[in-house]
Amino acid sequence: MTTLGLDPEELGRCVQCGLCLPSCPTFRVTGDESQSPRGRIALMRAVEHEGAPLSAPVRRSFETCVQCRGCETACPSGVPFGHLMARTREVIVQSGLSTSRPVRAGYAALGRPRLVRAAVRAAALGQRLHAVPASAGLPPLPLRQAPLRRTGSDAHLFTGCVMDACQRDVHRDTVRVLAAAGFGVEPTGDRVPCCGALHAHAGLGRAARKLAAGAVRALGDGLPVLVNSAGCGAAMKEYGRLLGSDAARELAGRVFDVSEWLAPRMANLPEVRPLDLRVAVQDPCHLRHVQRVHAATRAVLAPFVRELLELDDDGLCCGAGGSYAFFERREARAIRARKLASIARSAPDVVASANPGCSMHLAAAGVPAVHPMTLVARALGAQGGARGAQGAQGRLGS
Amino acid sequence: MTAPAPDGALVRFAREVGATGPVAVEGGRTRWDTGGDPAAGTRLLRAPAGIVEHRPEEMTVRVRAGTAVDELHDELAATGQRTALPRRGGTVGGALAVGENDVCVLGRGRVRDAVLQVRYVSADGVVVTGGGPTVKNVTGYDLPRLLVGSLGTLGLLAEAILRTNPVPAVSRWFRAEGAVPFKAFDALFRPSAVLWNGCTTWVELEGHAADVEAERRALVAATAVAGGWSECDAGPVLPPYRWSLRPSELRRLHEAAPGGPGAAGGAGGPGEAGEAGGHGASIGEPSGLGELVASIGVGTVFSSRPAPPRPPSPALAALAARVKHEFDPGGRLNPGRSVDPAGSVSPR
Amino acid sequence: MRGRPVSADPLVAALCAVLGRDRVRDDAAERALLAHDASVFAGGAAGPVCFPTSTEEVRAVVRIAASHGSAVVPRGAGTGLAGGAIPLGRPVVVVTTKMNRILEVDRDDRIAWVEPGVVNLDLTKHLRPLGFHFAPDPSSQQACTIGGNVANNSGGPHCLAYGVTSQHVLALDVVLPDGEVVRLGGLDAEPPGYDLRGAFIGGEGTLGIATRIAVRITKNPPAVRTLLLAFDSIEEAATVVGRVVAAGIVPAAMEVMDRGITVAVENFVHAGYPVDAGAVLLVEVDGPEAGTALDAERIAEIGRAGGATSVRTAAGEEERALLWRGRKTAFGAVAQIAPSYYLHDTVVPRAALPQVLRAVYEIAERHGLMVVNVFHAGDGNLHPLLLFDPREPGTLARVHAAGREIVEVSLAAGGVLSGEHGVGVEKRDYMPLQFSDVDLDHQNRLRRAFDPACRANPGKVLPSGHSCADIQSLERLPAGVWA
Ligand SMILES: Cc1cc2nc3c(=O)[nH]c(=O)nc-3n(C[C@H](O)[C@H](O)[C@H](O)COP(=O)(O)OP(=O)(O)OC[C@H]3O[C@@H](n4cnc5c(N)ncnc54)[C@H](O)[C@@H]3O)c2cc1C
Ligand code: SF4
Ligand code: SF4
Repeated sequence: MTTLGLDPEELGRCVQCGLCLPSCPTFRVTGDESQSPRGRIALMRAVEHEGAPLSAPVRRSFETCVQCRGCETACPSGVPFGHLMARTREVIVQSGLSTSRPVRAGYAALGRPRLVRAAVRAAALGQRLHAVPASAGLPPLPLRQAPLRRTGSDAHLFTGCVMDACQRDVHRDTVRVLAAAGFGVEPTGDRVPCCGALHAHAGLGRAARKLAAGAVRALGDGLPVLVNSAGCGAAMKEYGRLLGSDAARELAGRVFDVSEWLAPRMANLPEVRPLDLRVAVQDPCHLRHVQRVHAATRAVLAPFVRELLELDDDGLCCGAGGSYAFFERREARAIRARKLASIARSAPDVVASANPGCSMHLAAAGVPAVHPMTLVARALGAQGGARGAQGAQGRLGS
Repeated sequence: MTAPAPDGALVRFAREVGATGPVAVEGGRTRWDTGGDPAAGTRLLRAPAGIVEHRPEEMTVRVRAGTAVDELHDELAATGQRTALPRRGGTVGGALAVGENDVCVLGRGRVRDAVLQVRYVSADGVVVTGGGPTVKNVTGYDLPRLLVGSLGTLGLLAEAILRTNPVPAVSRWFRAEGAVPFKAFDALFRPSAVLWNGCTTWVELEGHAADVEAERRALVAATAVAGGWSECDAGPVLPPYRWSLRPSELRRLHEAAPGGPGAAGGAGGPGEAGEAGGHGASIGEPSGLGELVASIGVGTVFSSRPAPPRPPSPALAALAARVKHEFDPGGRLNPGRSVDPAGSVSPR
Repeated sequence: MRGRPVSADPLVAALCAVLGRDRVRDDAAERALLAHDASVFAGGAAGPVCFPTSTEEVRAVVRIAASHGSAVVPRGAGTGLAGGAIPLGRPVVVVTTKMNRILEVDRDDRIAWVEPGVVNLDLTKHLRPLGFHFAPDPSSQQACTIGGNVANNSGGPHCLAYGVTSQHVLALDVVLPDGEVVRLGGLDAEPPGYDLRGAFIGGEGTLGIATRIAVRITKNPPAVRTLLLAFDSIEEAATVVGRVVAAGIVPAAMEVMDRGITVAVENFVHAGYPVDAGAVLLVEVDGPEAGTALDAERIAEIGRAGGATSVRTAAGEEERALLWRGRKTAFGAVAQIAPSYYLHDTVVPRAALPQVLRAVYEIAERHGLMVVNVFHAGDGNLHPLLLFDPREPGTLARVHAAGREIVEVSLAAGGVLSGEHGVGVEKRDYMPLQFSDVDLDHQNRLRRAFDPACRANPGKVLPSGHSCADIQSLERLPAGVWA
């Protein structure tokens, strides 16, 4: 008999009210109680307290969770769902009930930047040769990217694994925007190969902790750590809980989403003519429901675009969910369909998303998704006549 | 701790009703032939009368079925309150049994929504209580709503607790010739009545004086009629027969006006709904309603011609028959009267 | 993962034949989950779980269940607090969450046709651009379904002025327990026949399954004013509520929260609720501009005369929304105080509120329980929350004992058992406290007319001794739930 080893107080906090149901993307698309936060918690309790087996349907219920944590925002009882689910996933993996060996190997590669870059290049080449089918759901990938250079020492810019390999132009735009505001950054590059978020989500707790510990060691200099991937930022802000050490808590306390950090410093940016675009803001779940700093995205974007539009789905997940879009393709697409409908209703020119996973997932469905930093860089670049924001141009064209 | 036992008057009434023989209650006879006359040989009784308790701070009144509606409203008026019951003669029990709304239903509310508790004498001669005394209650099945409009065929009403409402500070009627009544209705936030007879529109506005004045101005602005709106004492005299239409069907009436007003059918909701059958809102073939006053936004049309009957779907008729059979297996309550082939035919 | 073999159970196989294997769930996990709703009652046991998408499919499911001698239990979002959706005796559970389309909005008729699984707040959001809303606004409106609202005749804060669900439903398509489909009510002014629509609403799923619902849509008021009054004691707040009504004002909503709940809510929403007050009164008036302002002023005066220590008017829509968010998440916010709660729901005459509230605190204290109160004061609808820790042995028994006393006190004050949550399994056995045998027999006749064979949600509403009641007692925990 398996137990999950969940904190009984945390698990006990759910009062079964069901108020979280509509905020859960998987419940929204299936209507199944077992695909809802309340249902998943009830199953955790059944396993923990009633000796229910981790049967295939029970595991399925856990595996289909996007870990978007929309339920946490909705829950008035303060159930820390993300932690409960991460721990549950870990136990499932430890009991050898889930996550096949090749998949684990894939996750292991994330900690090795050169491997990731090689894989992305291979996929990009495959796309050029039409060897990678469109059904793989991948957006157009870059074949080759120039290295990022250090511009100063006001803060670290966390570059990450997949994002650095796929969207280094977003980092470049971020560096440019920060420079325009008078800040120089040090890209973390291979010093911190990966934040470990995807590992934690997949239940590979040990790997996640190892990567986190590495980051804590590498970034011990007290400088702010700026992150432009909402998922990575959320994970790093939770290092304290993950590792339980003072050093981890200290680092977590100086991790900022780049918009969060920039918002109070907007006066530093020059006034320029806004881009003639109607921009819908798509809040990445880990920005809105975990970091809860999604207001900053708007504050940063507002001066640089003609119009900001809100989507009408109250921040419901888009279905990207880190690697979710790859492993739970059917669910991820059903969830995305709702997001696409909401985007269509607001009819924007582009969609701004501060998470690479979300923008790739949306781009794969033909949505012109760009990072907010790319838009700002473009507005600044267009004005100053600088060679700015090729990335945005390119992406907008796609 | 069961609800307070029915008192002497109700018990006496129950005894009079007894458990055998056809029986009916007569009130003010203002709507006597609704649903057909009771069969010959039916014993006619009168329900007990009197206002038992008015609690202005609760906005409720407990009243016996034989009480005149006018008497009730006079009593309530003393504390600035009123109920949804139409004031047109007759008794409280009669008004509930027939269930028709006041012509100003938008302002006064629906009769069904006003009944909190009913006490009736059953076919086997005992007093039954349904609902509860408070303004909000979902305890058990909603017998009060079932009894309203049942024409005494399920039980004989003896007493009811009704919801009361404050009488608004100001009530004013206005009329205009040639206004588009739908524009008037859409322009107003909460009119008490918008009535239209093919050429004249009447509007009742109620509330705080300043609000009524603002609404009046909105009315004038939205309709732009040549002769303008003038204040009047009351709405129009209503023709005797009631037709029950969908509010949207009145638009078609309006399109056909002023020559010969006619209305087309078109029942129910979308798709599958039709298959469910039952009471669609159709008034059948486009047929002259004769002289009419239509209640805009409500759908009631007061007409000089009786409405054609609208038979329910077989499944609905079967369900209604089961209800009747459960409550009155021997068919002794108001025999000969039926809620079904509707189209009320009583003079007003 | 969905490629399960066709079940050997002939009932399941027949259901699969109609709905496909994807929309029939028979695994222990799903069935165990659907044995609960938001209430504290355990002991339900679900049979196969179905997800129909049309009236036709519901009809087919009902017929199949009937032909296999199985009962059916409709279920919406499972936010019910009286255990109405808890399946007793392994019935087929008919979940409406996939019937969630808004079919039609007609501004002339001022109605919307919806499927029963449409979430209450989703409809209001859909209507917002048109300037309309769906008036019943249970505190669970973000999650509960309109089908559930119909079945429980749900209310909400704004039902004080606007009325409960029954006043906002014009017509229903219903699959009767024998599989016949009827339309109850109609869109016309005064549909003929018995008001079976009215009788169905509040039937808690025991009269059939609503598959299409025509709801009234209500114009948004031109002006809204929201006031927050603080008092030293909850009795003062309750007294002021009575005085406002006695003054001839019917606000859109009047809600009271005591100190315990106010503090918890403030911790959660940070709306600036006064945490040092003994109780707060949230009042909303709406309607045309001038009268709304006048009413707000008079309410403030009545409040001050009644001892209000502060009167705050929400400055704008944002502040107003925040105050309401506090009120609407109040039940959940108590989790900060205790791991679980039992929420009661009785109604008393407004004048009796202060006295009954005193009794409620006294009862809780005597049973060694903490109680907080947050309620629809305008219509006397009490919601005492008894807080407890389910892991502590023996507490649940004390909670139930205190609950029964609260019910008795409310009835003695001239009140009723339930104002909006319904009877379900929770208050089934209290029904004789409010109704005589004859009264209950007549309610049972209505039920029998709709469901002569006891196929719809058996074991609910009516106590033992009436047909369909004696299906399975909740105390008997079914064996082998996880087998
Ligand atoms: C935090 C919280 C706050 C709440 N606040 C309020 C409040 O302010 N006011 C209020 O009135 N209630 C309130 N409730 C109770 C509950 O939300 C309502 O009763 C709601 O209407 C239930 O809807 P549901 O979709 O969850 O129904 P469920 O719980 O799934 O079912 C409720 C009942 O309806 C029946 N049913 C469901 N669908 C159908 C259908 N299509 N046809 C026939 N029967 C059906 C079920 O069999 C069951 O008996 C609250 C609950 C919670 C958890
Ligand atoms: S984390 Fe997201 S997908 Fe998982 S239960 Fe919560 S809301 Fe649903
Ligand atoms: S997780 Fe929170 S919102 Fe969801 S059912 Fe539990 S207590 Fe309610």
